Amino acid sequence: MLEVYTWEPNANSGKPLLCLCEKQVPFTHHYIDMGKLEQFSPAFLAINPDGTIPAVVHDGFVMTESTPAMEYIDDAFDGPALRPADPWWRWRMRQVMRYMDNVVAPSLAMLASNRLAAPRYADVDEAEKRRELEKIPLPERRAAWEKLMFGKTPQADLDESARRIAESFDLFEDLLSEAPYLAGEEFSLADINVMATFYHLPQSYPDDVNDARRPHMMAWLRRCHARPGLQRGFGTGRGFITQRAADVRRLLGVEDAA
Amino acid sequence: MIELYHGGPTGHSASALIALAEKGLDFTSHPIDLAGGENHSEAFLELNPEGQVPVLLADGRTLTGTFHILLYLDEAFPEPSLGGEGTQARYAVHKWGKYVETHIAPNLAIARWAQLGGVADARPERLPPARAALWRQALAGFSQEQVAAARQALEKAAARVAQDAAATGWLAGAAYSMADIAAYPHLAQFHALGIALPAGAQDWLARVAERPAVREAAGDMPIVATMGPEPGRWG
Repeated sequence: MLEVYTWEPNANSGKPLLCLCEKQVPFTHHYIDMGKLEQFSPAFLAINPDGTIPAVVHDGFVMTESTPAMEYIDDAFDGPALRPADPWWRWRMRQVMRYMDNVVAPSLAMLASNRLAAPRYADVDEAEKRRELEKIPLPERRAAWEKLMFGKTPQADLDESARRIAESFDLFEDLLSEAPYLAGEEFSLADINVMATFYHLPQSYPDDVNDARRPHMMAWLRRCHARPGLQRGFGTGRGFITQRAADVRRLLGVEDAA
Repeated sequence: MIELYHGGPTGHSASALIALAEKGLDFTSHPIDLAGGENHSEAFLELNPEGQVPVLLADGRTLTGTFHILLYLDEAFPEPSLGGEGTQARYAVHKWGKYVETHIAPNLAIARWAQLGGVADARPERLPPARAALWRQALAGFSQEQVAAARQALEKAAARVAQDAAATGWLAGAAYSMADIAAYPHLAQFHALGIALPAGAQDWLARVAERPAVREAAGDMPIVATMGPEPGRWG
């Protein structure tokens, strides 16, 4: 029995969904609605007391770290290998994922949440927001949510996030000029990890990620978006992510797999 | 042909030294004087622009990122296996590797810096922006709140070591693994900083310390205040 408790096929929440669809492993998706803060509900906290998604549960074994869970999925199940055989390329795969997890994805999340989620809290009264904050178990996550709900993310932090994202585009363009995928000749967990956060770049950062400025990133985005496994993965959503991925495919001229 | 640039038997460098000893690998040792700021020298920054040790040279390649160096050594030199026995143990190895790098080491760096001070010759202007910002903050001094939060995070880490080691004596499954090697040099410094270890964590520390490879690599485990290893989770 394989169960995935998560939100949409997006960022950390999406990594196990995309990974399992690529691996062709059947699973049950228990939808945790982040829009309703269901990750802090008693029912979900019983599975992951830290209140972070995703949680992947395999025959009762609970995993709450998304990137290690991706390694587990490739390790524990049959299906196409999603890690290179060569130890150095594996090292590269993991370095790319760590950079994405620690530096790039949180920067993008900070900007996106301040743009999309913060306005929802503008008219919510303070006592209500305090009640919501008290449900968040991890101190560092609580501090980030408090800044978000009260519109107190410092401009310097937002600027630094924008700088980190811009810097990452140069780095990814360089990496993808060396090989068709992030960890060499074959598609790997690194591509899944980065796609989960970057699938929409031609739409969201059209001035930075286009055929003229970043040809290798664009070719990689087309290669990844054309994969039936990733298309199935992006199809697991209930909200706007699935539609957005389909819109990006059309923008890139990528056909939907049969 | 393997070469290791390292800061001596402390912190992340100790993990790499222990792993090489466990694997019985010969290597050329390049000690870097962290207390003297050699990791910010132009020569070293050519090797690793982030100014961090250890750096492994193997098979004509340059590898950084300690935990991923450990996994590389385990996969390139499979005997004896230290990657975890079974899929659940291997997940735990990856989980601990990430936890050490993103929680334990950065918080330890702050707590240690606050208590023991830092190096005379840091050169943040030579580092990439995120690393430079961290160093400037360290040189200006961390706030009391930051130090208190860091110590609290370390107490939580000590409890987690005790909890995970309770069943088998090791952090990831039934056998000693890269999880123990990644965590040990950091936990070994808690006592000097006055951070109490639960009995289970103390027993685990003693168990790892008894390994011949750890004795060979560790020496007297000097404590050097170096900032690192990763910027930690941003946001």
